[in-house]
Amino acid sequence: MRDIDDGAHPPALILRGLRKSFAKTAVDGLNLTVRAGELYALLGPNGAGKTTTLRMVAGLLPPDSGEIEVFGVDARRRPLEAKRVMAWLPDEPTLYDKLDPLEYLEFVAGLWGAEPRRAQRLADELLETLGLWEHRRERCEGFSRGMKQKLALAGALVHEPRLLMLDEPLTGLDAAVARQVKDLLAARVKEGATIILTTHILEVAERLADRIGIIQRGRLIAEGTLVELRGAGGRDHASLEEIFLHLTAPGERAA
Amino acid sequence: MKLRPGSFSWLAAHDLRQTWRGFDAALGGLTRAKAAMLAGAVIGLHAFFWWGLRHYGEVADDARLSPYIALGALFVLPGIVAQAVTAATRALYAHGDLDLLFASPISARAVLGSKAVAIAANAIAWFAILLLPLANVNALAGHFHWLAVYPALLACGLFGTGIGIGLALALFAAVGPRRARLVSQIAATVVGASFMLGLQGYALAPGARASLARAMQSSIDNQWLDWRGWLSLPARAAEGDVQALGVWMIVAAGVFAAATFALGESFARAAIISAGAPPPSGRKRKPRAFRASLGATMRSKERRLILRDPWLISQIALQVVYMAPVSFVLWRNGGATGSPGVVFAPLIVVVGAQLAGSLAWLALSGEDAPDLLRAAPVSPGRIERHKIEAILAPVAIVLCGPVVALALVSPWSGFWAGLFTLGASVSAALLNLWRQSPSRRSRVLQRHSQSKIVGMIEHVLSIVWAVGAAMAVMGSWSALIPVAAACLILRLSRSRTARLSFAAGA
Repeated sequence: MRDIDDGAHPPALILRGLRKSFAKTAVDGLNLTVRAGELYALLGPNGAGKTTTLRMVAGLLPPDSGEIEVFGVDARRRPLEAKRVMAWLPDEPTLYDKLDPLEYLEFVAGLWGAEPRRAQRLADELLETLGLWEHRRERCEGFSRGMKQKLALAGALVHEPRLLMLDEPLTGLDAAVARQVKDLLAARVKEGATIILTTHILEVAERLADRIGIIQRGRLIAEGTLVELRGAGGRDHASLEEIFLHLTAPGERAA
Repeated sequence: MKLRPGSFSWLAAHDLRQTWRGFDAALGGLTRAKAAMLAGAVIGLHAFFWWGLRHYGEVADDARLSPYIALGALFVLPGIVAQAVTAATRALYAHGDLDLLFASPISARAVLGSKAVAIAANAIAWFAILLLPLANVNALAGHFHWLAVYPALLACGLFGTGIGIGLALALFAAVGPRRARLVSQIAATVVGASFMLGLQGYALAPGARASLARAMQSSIDNQWLDWRGWLSLPARAAEGDVQALGVWMIVAAGVFAAATFALGESFARAAIISAGAPPPSGRKRKPRAFRASLGATMRSKERRLILRDPWLISQIALQVVYMAPVSFVLWRNGGATGSPGVVFAPLIVVVGAQLAGSLAWLALSGEDAPDLLRAAPVSPGRIERHKIEAILAPVAIVLCGPVVALALVSPWSGFWAGLFTLGASVSAALLNLWRQSPSRRSRVLQRHSQSKIVGMIEHVLSIVWAVGAAMAVMGSWSALIPVAAACLILRLSRSRTARLSFAAGA
C-alpha cells in the first residue's frame, strides 16, 4: 500500500453534515474525509446519493446545509478557489460536437487558466496515451461513446487537477479502453493526485481503490480498506461484492 | 377505421402522427386554451381578409387578379420545394426511425412514400393557414372559383415535395454524403428565398405586373404548345381554370408518385451511406499554440460552433433574407420622400436585434456543456461577458455593410443606425442573458415557443429601438423617449429567479 497523507497536508476533501433534499432526502448529513493522494471509491446502490454528493463538491449543485472543504479551502465560501484544483467527469460526457479534440482541450485548459504551453504539451501526451492522436483533427460528432469518454477524461486531466472526481468512468467502455483508463488513473495517483470515483463495477474498486466508502440513503454506512471492510463485516475471505450486498441489504444497518 | 399493420396507409398514418406531435411539441402542448387561441387567429384572419375585400374589392376583379395569383403560386412552390429538400436531408442524416424501418420487411418505396406524405402535409399546412382563409372569404363573396385554391394547393404540395425529394437525393449523389448536408441547406435557402428575390424584381421593374398578366393571358390563348402555358399552370389552376386544374393535379400526382416510386431505393441507399459517413474533418492546419487568454479562447469556441453548423447559419440567414423585400418596399417609399435614412435605419436596427437575439440564445441557452462551465474556476459574469463579446462581433460584421452604405448616402443616418443597432443588439443579448431557456442549439428558431414572454419582449424591444432610430434620423430629441422605454423594459424584464446562468452552485 502506498503512503498517503502524511499528516502535514490537509485532506483532499472533507464533508461535514452535508445535506441535500429534492422530493426526498438525497444526501443526509454526510460526513466524509478523503486523504490527499489516495484513490477513494464511493460505492452505493442506485439512488444512494453518490452523484448528488460529487455534484455538490464540484459546485454544480448547492447543498441545503453542511460544509465542503477542498484542500483546506471552504468550497461554499470560495468556490472559484476550490474549483481551480478540481476536475469533474460526469457519467455522460458533455463535449462540443463541432470542436475537434485539440480545440476542446484548448478550451478546457483556457477555462482553468492552465499555462498554455504546458497544457498543449500535456494535451498531446494525453491524446497519444488514450489513442486519440490520429483523431485530433476530427470533430467529436463522429466519435464513439468510448472515444468521447476518453476525450472527456483528457479534458479533466489537461489542467492537472489535484482532486479528480469521476462518476462511473468505466460504464459502457470496452475492455481495452477500460484498461487504458484504469492505467491512466493509477498513474495519476502515483504522481500524487487524489481521485474519487463512483462505480458499480466492484472489481474496479477492489483492485484500484486505497479506501472504499459505502453510502446508502445519503449516509456513509461503512468505510475503510478492503481488509478493514472484511473485518468489520466479520467475513475475512469475502469478496467486495459479498460485503457490499451484505451491508446494503434491506434492513441491514452498518456502522 | 383500423389500418392494416405494415400497409402503406398504416405507415403514412404513423408518419403523419409524428408530424402532428412535432407541431404539438412546438406549441409546448396543444391545450384547450391554445386551441381556442388558434381557432380565434384563423377566424381573425378570415375577418381581416373580409375587411380587405370590402375595401379593396376591385382587386377581386378577375382580369386584374391573375398576376396576384401567379405571385401566390411563385410563393408557394419554392417554399414547398425548400421545405421538402430540408426535410428529406434531415431525415437522411438524423436517421431517427430509419434504422428501424429499413431493418423491417417494409419496402424502401413505402418508407420514402410515407415520409413524403408527411413532408407534403406539413408543407401544405403552413401555406394553407394563410391561403385558405383568403379562398374562403372570396367564395363567401360569390367568387366560387376561388375554391380551386384547395385542390391547387394540394397539388402544389405533392409536386413541390416530389421535386424537393428528388433535388435532395440528386445533391446527395452529386456531392457525396460528407458535403450533401451543407449543400442541401444552401440549396433550400436559395430556393426558399427565390420568391423573395422574384418579388423584388417584380417590385423594381415598372412593367412587370403588366407583362406577367400578358404572359398568363397569352398562355391561355395559345394553349398547351406555349411553354408559358406550362409555367403558368399552377397559377391558372389556382385561378379556377378547370382544365388547367385537372392537368395540374394529374402532373403533380404523377411527379409525387414517380419520385417516391423511383427514388425509394436511392433514399434507402443514401440513408445507409450517410450513417457510415465520417463527419467533415477539420481543415489541415498547421498546429497552433493554445491561446493564453480566457476571452480569446471563449470567443474562438463560440465562433467555431456557429461557423461549423451550416444548418444554423442558413436558418439565421433566412431571417435576414426575409427582411429583404420589406427593405425594397421601404427603399421605394423612402426614395419617394427623399429620406432613405428614416426607413432604412430602423430596418437595420430590427435585423441587428434579430441576429443578436438568435446568436445570444445560441451562446447562452444553447450551451452544449453547461456543467463544464459551471465546474470551471471562472466567475459566471466573466463567462457571460465573453459570450456576449463573441456574438456581437458577427452582428457587427454582417451589419457593417448596410450601415456604411447608408452613411455614404446620409452620414448622420448611418451614425444613428450604427448607434441604435448597437443598443438593440446589446439589449437583445442582455434579455437572453437574464431570461435563459436552455435547449438544443437546433431549436434556435423555435426558441420563443419555450418562453413566449421573452419572444414578445424581444420583438417589442427591437421595435422600440427602431422607432428611436427613425426619430434620431429625423433630428428629434424625442428619440430619447424610446431609448428610455427600452432601458425600462430591460430593467423590468430582469428576473433573478429566471436566471439560470453558469452560477457557482456551491
